[in-house]
Amino acid sequence: MSAATVSSSPKITEKMARESPAEQAQVLVKSRICNPNFIFSIFSNPPDSNYSKLKYIISSSLTEACNNSVLLLGPRGCGKVAILELVLEDLLEEYPDMISVIKLNGLLHCDHNCALKEISRQLCQEHQLLFSKMASFDDNAQFMVSMLRECGLAHKTIIFVLDEFDLFAQGKQLFLYSLLDAMQSVTSQAVVIGISCRLDADQLLEKRVRSRFSHRKLLFLPPSREDTERLLEHILLLPTNSSFPHEYVTAFNVKLLKIFADYKFKEIVDTLSYSDSTVNHLQRFLFSTVSHMDLKSGLLSLENFKAALSTIQRQPKLEVLKDCSILELYILVCMKRLEAKEQELRNFNAIMKEYKSIHDTFQTSNYYARNVCLRAFEHLLQRELISFEDNRGHGQSAEFRPVKLLISRPELYQGLKSYPSCPVSSF
Amino acid sequence: MGKEESPHVNRRTTRSSSSTTPNSKTVGEVSKIISNTQSLTVNDLVISDESISLEELINSFPHRRVQILELIKLLGPLNSPMIPLFVYGGASTGKTSTVLEIFKHLKRPFIYSSCITCYNPRILFESILNQLLLHRKNERNGYSSAKRCEKPSDFVNLLHDALSTFIDRLEGDLWKSNSKKSPSQVTGKMIYLIIDNLEHVREWDKSLNILPFLFNLYDILKMPEMGLIFISKTSLDTYHSDTGYAESLPVYFPDYTEDDLRKIFMKDQSNPKLYSSFLDVVLRPFYHTTRRVDDVTNAISPLYKKYCEPLDDTGITPDEDTKRKLFKHINPYISQFLKETFQVPSQPTLKASASKDKTRKKGITKPGFWESLDELDFHMSTCAKYLLISAFLASRNPATLDASLFDSTGGSGNRKRKRKSSEKSMEKKESKEQELLMKGPGTFPLERLLAIFQCISSVAEYSPGDEVPQIDGLGANGWDSGLMSDVLLQLSSLCSANFITKGGSCPLEGAIRYRSAVSEDMALKVARSLKFPLPKYLYSR
Repeated sequence: MSAATVSSSPKITEKMARESPAEQAQVLVKSRICNPNFIFSIFSNPPDSNYSKLKYIISSSLTEACNNSVLLLGPRGCGKVAILELVLEDLLEEYPDMISVIKLNGLLHCDHNCALKEISRQLCQEHQLLFSKMASFDDNAQFMVSMLRECGLAHKTIIFVLDEFDLFAQGKQLFLYSLLDAMQSVTSQAVVIGISCRLDADQLLEKRVRSRFSHRKLLFLPPSREDTERLLEHILLLPTNSSFPHEYVTAFNVKLLKIFADYKFKEIVDTLSYSDSTVNHLQRFLFSTVSHMDLKSGLLSLENFKAALSTIQRQPKLEVLKDCSILELYILVCMKRLEAKEQELRNFNAIMKEYKSIHDTFQTSNYYARNVCLRAFEHLLQRELISFEDNRGHGQSAEFRPVKLLISRPELYQGLKSYPSCPVSSF
Repeated sequence: MGKEESPHVNRRTTRSSSSTTPNSKTVGEVSKIISNTQSLTVNDLVISDESISLEELINSFPHRRVQILELIKLLGPLNSPMIPLFVYGGASTGKTSTVLEIFKHLKRPFIYSSCITCYNPRILFESILNQLLLHRKNERNGYSSAKRCEKPSDFVNLLHDALSTFIDRLEGDLWKSNSKKSPSQVTGKMIYLIIDNLEHVREWDKSLNILPFLFNLYDILKMPEMGLIFISKTSLDTYHSDTGYAESLPVYFPDYTEDDLRKIFMKDQSNPKLYSSFLDVVLRPFYHTTRRVDDVTNAISPLYKKYCEPLDDTGITPDEDTKRKLFKHINPYISQFLKETFQVPSQPTLKASASKDKTRKKGITKPGFWESLDELDFHMSTCAKYLLISAFLASRNPATLDASLFDSTGGSGNRKRKRKSSEKSMEKKESKEQELLMKGPGTFPLERLLAIFQCISSVAEYSPGDEVPQIDGLGANGWDSGLMSDVLLQLSSLCSANFITKGGSCPLEGAIRYRSAVSEDMALKVARSLKFPLPKYLYSR
């Protein structure tokens, strides 16, 4: 169990002592789910895991006092950041005064000016120096170089964590260049760790940057079937040595293990991982499950898992279709017919013409006036079932701008079929 | 009872005011805040006017029981952390108001920012920070924000600091309230951040950076004490992103069905029986066109007045006979109201206001056959009117026809010329013509506009003392330059009034091309005010 939960759980339990064990259990499991460091702590044991590899890379460059760089690649929600944090936590305990960690995020600091400023800020914070907001890019760059040198002399390693690494590789890559160059030119000790969900992140680098980057890569993959099962137990089972009443914990865990053994539950997990087997997906699923827990009995049931699955797996387009009014459906069908005819021009006027011809041939009960249809047309635009083909032509009024349909024919068909009290489908 | 009625009203105001005030949460508080100048406390982040029980909450939102219960479950018991929620559903389905009322019920502190009023990242960031730092813009601080922050990186740092101090304060308050038993209205030590109208962020300048940032905010901050709730009109799959982002847990608000709408409208009616019989008649046709509460409300409220007209006493309980009588009375109005009540907001306002009177009377029938002449309800110089008409003609007619339309006889005898071609080619031409019409106004260069302008203005007669420069057709050089400057001025003012829009420049010629933005009825109206025979010049007629 990670340090974070250990430190926070007594506080929670103390405050909630007067609440029912079911609620306490819910809060505990929810805080576990919301803490990726806890979730991924089970992957830290086996020797061939990414955890041990990463730890070896960093600790060897720590002890050998050399520069290093590594990329952590893999799809979103596979625990790249979490594993790195676990490693750093461990290393900070092992070598307390030898590490300072600088964390940057490509979403926030992809601009080189901003990135250097943030580095200076974090360095200042770490070493109790005064940070000036007004410092220029040049000042900050010089500060970083001298800090690297000083830290190198003091045998202290600076670890740069660059989350969303691919975003740093946009544009001129000035920041990456100045960082990697600073590491080369002086007797510094620094480790650069890039984290990216793009597997080709190292191919994005310019030549001058790439030549300064070591090509160590660690690949993170979604958990396998067995790992998923281990994760489930790891997250959901209540600890036996805690403040919960003993009978409650046993009842809870026994019920849960029984569910895990059920083949229906296995089917649920299969459907879940069929669409997306990352831990993030599992995390959302479990959060929803735990939220649905019956607080009276305080036990999870198979129904909870089923309900969570249905809330997680949604078909937004079909939902929106079900929300459409009949006139809006008419317009969609008209659009589809125009597409089927391969008519080039598809704007509101063309739709109205088609609508009139449908009305004439099928003798539908109501024929709505043009401005009512225009209103419905705009609702469809708002619902994003149709959209304008181009973003230009703001001067032109909506009736003339060409539109395209954003749902496929089978989707529309399914939507119409499931629509309650749908009139004759002239489709 | 009065309390139970109010949520319905509240709900409407919340929704509509979310577009006008920075945070609708404080709608109720604003007056209070302005009157007392003492500094804000943590309590101000809770809606604390009155408590609302779960039963009342569910009753005040018909057919939202499932959603309310689900949201409460997801928010969980006190102090339970939460992964980001994504509340979505069509317009006017009660997303914002339900969420806000739930927080009122739970009495937990929250921060509400809408991306409509916070129309760029800076304002959004500062609005969140202001609320979190309990800062209020007033005269003394020159209506400035607590912190100036433009970049996401600064925002994250500031937010992190602000959140930690805030949470410390919450814990302190809890401690105090435990020891002194002072009535603290805040419960729990979670703070929730609600970002409304998220779909608008997609239209922002740097939306490609801001959107993934907002979706990842929870992971970036790593503070389990902060709950994040997004509210959006469109589903998650409409938010595209290059490399994906941390997804959030979806909660869906479906549109109301007919029965739900009926329940909503039946709330707080003085004469439920009468209103119910009214809804029997009226609701179905409107429901077929739209399912939005706000639209239907706008449409049927004037209709109800009409419905009650034959009655002397609106308090009576209608029997079958009166119902039949009232139905007969209202029936002709329904179809008329169906046509009229939906005004289209996207059309140019001037045009809408000009043609509104007409649509009131006739609806949109075939354009061009207005018998009842309405005056234009705005003034325009004659020169500008001619310019408008020529722009309309230039947009409408193909350029190749100009020569035959505007020959020396003024286009009066050119109708017979076109009748020679065979049936088939005529048909082909017809369909092409129609397509052209449907495609909307075409673009034209300035020279063509001026040429047409000269032609049509030379045909027309002038009364002396007209405000247009005298145009003789064979004018001298001095007149020519005068006309040009004046006309160009008029043209630019027409452009700025959005009657004529500037299209893109033609890649071959390089000159700017124009496009007329007025509708046909508008052009006809202008032409009538000049007594100009516009239909004669229209290609398709």
